[in-house]
Amino acid sequence: MLKFVPYVLKSLWRHRARTLLTVSGTAVALLVFCFIGAVQQGLLALTSDEDSGRTLIVFQENRFCPQSSRMPQDYERTISKMPGVKDVIPIKVFTNNCRASLDAIVFQGMPAEKLKAWRDIDLQSGDMASFASQDDAALVGIDVATRRGLSVGDKFTIGDVSVVVRGVFQSATAAENNLIFTQLDFLQRARGANDVGTVTQLEVHLNETADPDALAKQIDDEFRTGPVGTTTRTKGMFQADTLADLAELIGFVHWLGYACVGLVLSLVATTTVMSVQDRIKEHAVLQTLGLRPLRVFNLVIIESFLLSTLGGILGVVGSSLLLSSTGMSIAAEGVTIAFEPSLALAVQGIVVAVVVGLLAGLAPGWHASQTEIVSALRHA
Amino acid sequence: MSLVEVMNVTKEYANGEESIRPLDGVSLTVEEGDFLSLMGASGSGKSTLLNLIAGIDLVTSGEIVVADTDITKLSRGKLADWRARHIGYIFQTHNLIPVLTAYENVELPLLLLPMSGAERRKRVEIAMEAVDLTSRASHYPRQMSGGQEQRVGIARAIVANPTLVVADEPTGSLDDETTEQILLLLERVNNELGMTLLMVTHDADAGQRAKRKIRLERGRLMENGQELQTAKLRTA
Repeated sequence: MLKFVPYVLKSLWRHRARTLLTVSGTAVALLVFCFIGAVQQGLLALTSDEDSGRTLIVFQENRFCPQSSRMPQDYERTISKMPGVKDVIPIKVFTNNCRASLDAIVFQGMPAEKLKAWRDIDLQSGDMASFASQDDAALVGIDVATRRGLSVGDKFTIGDVSVVVRGVFQSATAAENNLIFTQLDFLQRARGANDVGTVTQLEVHLNETADPDALAKQIDDEFRTGPVGTTTRTKGMFQADTLADLAELIGFVHWLGYACVGLVLSLVATTTVMSVQDRIKEHAVLQTLGLRPLRVFNLVIIESFLLSTLGGILGVVGSSLLLSSTGMSIAAEGVTIAFEPSLALAVQGIVVAVVVGLLAGLAPGWHASQTEIVSALRHA
Repeated sequence: MSLVEVMNVTKEYANGEESIRPLDGVSLTVEEGDFLSLMGASGSGKSTLLNLIAGIDLVTSGEIVVADTDITKLSRGKLADWRARHIGYIFQTHNLIPVLTAYENVELPLLLLPMSGAERRKRVEIAMEAVDLTSRASHYPRQMSGGQEQRVGIARAIVANPTLVVADEPTGSLDDETTEQILLLLERVNNELGMTLLMVTHDADAGQRAKRKIRLERGRLMENGQELQTAKLRTA
């Protein structure tokens, strides 16, 4: 069959406008498919990684937006003494938009030494020493830096919080690339507020033997009679609860992904049907020369496979470039979902394109292979 | 034994509610090296008979044996393989593949046969030379005249050195001068290359160029004014 590939390529080239439109339509559909997949993967990564089950988030009871959670910072000391607790990070969170937003800026203020100890970040530029030594210094996640065009030395202000960029980092956790880290006390005093002594949340790291659920209950019981009640959940559950509305929406959006697959199927199948109808006589000539019906079928399948796969590759490459160059994310209540391209998603996109290409060629290929030679030769 | 044996072949097909029988128990033998013309009025069934012998249409009843193979017993796939090895088909309207060059069109039948690339090239060059179109090898059908296209069609039909070359109105769409060139070429194919040739034509002058002239009248085959005898079926 390989000997006939040049014929197939030339046939596609003969109707290049139609081929180009089909390939570009497929590429757009696959781009959207991969984009939706990236959002879903981002959500899944937030709620299913190992850290999300072994880390607790203590939040003020019945509070949702980070701005409304104000817990005494000294809860940190009490929790640290509990058996099974490895470390506690006091975190002040500030976001310019508590609702779901594609361009929310989320600051997390925490002690520099805890940041170094518990965040797996790699500085792309700048240095940790100047971050630790300067009060209004900030380490900016690479996706925020890309989106906002920030680099080391830049000063910027969001919602009355003014910081100087002292480093741009890449985190092993994709969602963290959308955060801006500052010193804890700086964020407590920012915007003229006197929040010193209060934090938004406490991040509790457990040792291997601790039972997360039991410890969460113990923490909440401990502070039930305190000045501020708490709700403690695993990090995964906290993020899932926080993003519940968005998760529902994202869950619905995955149907759009299936719609994209259906769109590619119908687009490639339509083009292949048109191509077969245009060449009824040509296929009859090929059969007269001795091409088996199965070979005619294969020629049509190769044609639809090439159309779909080429469009799929373009769509996958396009989505990867778009996602990696724009650093897009969506955030709600201070928790961000990163739209990250991944090899698995790219492979999935291309496999979908290949399978859809093969499926799209089945009916027209069968039709072409069953052509009655004599009547097809009379075809104008 | 004859190269082609058509035995009691009937072809019937439906045209709406009407049943049409262009061939009714016809028999014919073609010897190796023959150049046979099949003439008749329009709709007399001559192209139908040619298509049956070429294995691109199916008989209603009867047998057709070509080079000792009863092609009426072959499946569609096997029949395609058989055509690739044994039949060279020359169409009235050339039917070249428009996206392929003259060279590639001629090469097409060879892609179906087990053959090295070098052997393929050699055979295509010989065929192109035979039809005097070597200089047009890289041209596409749209860049050639009708006569040149038909010569490429002839090269495509002979390139695999088939057992039988069939031509369906090969001069039907050509002017007089080009018709003469094509007929000379067909004569050369028969005389110099020794290929057996079966040509359907409605043009009496063209038909006269063949060694044997057969007429198809009212479903019966006539040669020299005599009806050809009905043959016994091999399986009878």
